[in-house]
Amino acid sequence: MIKNRLAKMVFGSAFLTTMMVPAIAFAEEAAAPRDPSVDIAMYAAAGASLCIAAMATAFAQSKIGAAGAGTLAERPEAGTTLIVLQALPETIILLGFVIAFMMTA
Amino acid sequence: MSDRKTAVVSTYRPRGRDYGYTNARIRGMRSRLLKQSFFDELMTAKDIGAIIQKIMDTEYGPDLEGRLLHGRNATQVDEALKDNMTRTFRKVLSHCNDEATTLVTTLLGRWDLFNVKTIIRAKHMKLDEEEVADSLIAVGQLTQVDADELLKQSDIRRVVDTLATWGLPFAVPLREVLPQYEEEEDLSLLELALDRYYYEWASKRLRGWRANKEIARTFLSAQVDTMNLLTAIRLLNADLGEEDASRFFLPGGDVVDEPLFLELSGMSDVDEVFNRIKKTPYGKPLDEVALLFMEKGSVSVFERALEDYLFRIAFETSKGDPLGIGLTISYLWAKANEITNLRIVVKGVTVGMPEERMREELIIV
Repeated sequence: MIKNRLAKMVFGSAFLTTMMVPAIAFAEEAAAPRDPSVDIAMYAAAGASLCIAAMATAFAQSKIGAAGAGTLAERPEAGTTLIVLQALPETIILLGFVIAFMMTA
Repeated sequence: MSDRKTAVVSTYRPRGRDYGYTNARIRGMRSRLLKQSFFDELMTAKDIGAIIQKIMDTEYGPDLEGRLLHGRNATQVDEALKDNMTRTFRKVLSHCNDEATTLVTTLLGRWDLFNVKTIIRAKHMKLDEEEVADSLIAVGQLTQVDADELLKQSDIRRVVDTLATWGLPFAVPLREVLPQYEEEEDLSLLELALDRYYYEWASKRLRGWRANKEIARTFLSAQVDTMNLLTAIRLLNADLGEEDASRFFLPGGDVVDEPLFLELSGMSDVDEVFNRIKKTPYGKPLDEVALLFMEKGSVSVFERALEDYLFRIAFETSKGDPLGIGLTISYLWAKANEITNLRIVVKGVTVGMPEERMREELIIV
């Protein structure tokens, strides 16, 4: 139960940060002449999107890694499948990176 | 059942309530359980040599290899199967997280109960140590060494004293009824005290709101219910007063509570019992064997039906949360079931039992 709640919190905050903060930053940018505080907010948002996406990836990979280690101990022939499964959450950090890049580029 | 740590060989053990690693390992182990087709082939084996050859190719191979040094006979195969069961149960325990360890050791306490009862029965009937040692299955907190040590004691009082010295709680109920037992020489006093103590202890330990505790408690309750039902059926026509019948009641069941137990045990025949329990979950499994009971007239028919039902419940516990305790319970009971089936086939082939008869005896759900 708590594990699920923790996962929801991590993924929820990652989603909110990556979607909302840049939107606010760009909205401010469009409405008024460029202000230094907008830059700060933008870089902070880019950092946060990368950071939270990295945490979400780490969380997912830790769970998949533990289960994968258990499976590998009993069925070594499943190794290739497990590497693919272990790599899947990398897409989360990639998306975080892309968003951060789009904001700062 | 005590704070003593179980001797396990382990390199990594998850903490808290992390079931990812444990359940992945158990899924791997479950994939190696023997299939129905294997048993079909095994039953057609000509002799014990052919059986050994077939079992050597399975995961029982390493255990069998060690035992075959002492001879190629059914007894050694039986011992190898027992070794495998002990090893597998200990392996599962060694990979369980903290919560699962508590739940599993509570449920495995029934094997400790079985071992202590067997030892006490042996002491009561003054049986040979070696003969009894073969029937002990040390998969709970009592190890084989502990069980052997208990068997070495000369009488029941010494067994109880040893249990108390080790701090095992089974000593508590035994000590309470020991004076009465010594006076009346009635073994059922000790057995009932042990049963009642274990199921009370286990129910208390599994009390709580967490989903995994709920699963384990439901399974324990089903065990208690089936035992109470069987006892009630056995007590039919026994002409006991209410006070006497309540002596045999075990606490911890969900469906068969004490008033229902007393009502059932006071009934005049099995039909009445059927009518009373037909709306409970136990109605259907008993109804299915009603005709067979009429034919054979033996309570063992019900015993078998309820045992099958219990295994079915155990297997179904894995269908819920994939990251819960259900899978562990399901695997352990499936493993015990598999070993019972293998022992039936090994004995059957050795004594030349017809295939059809063996098939009837197998517990495959």
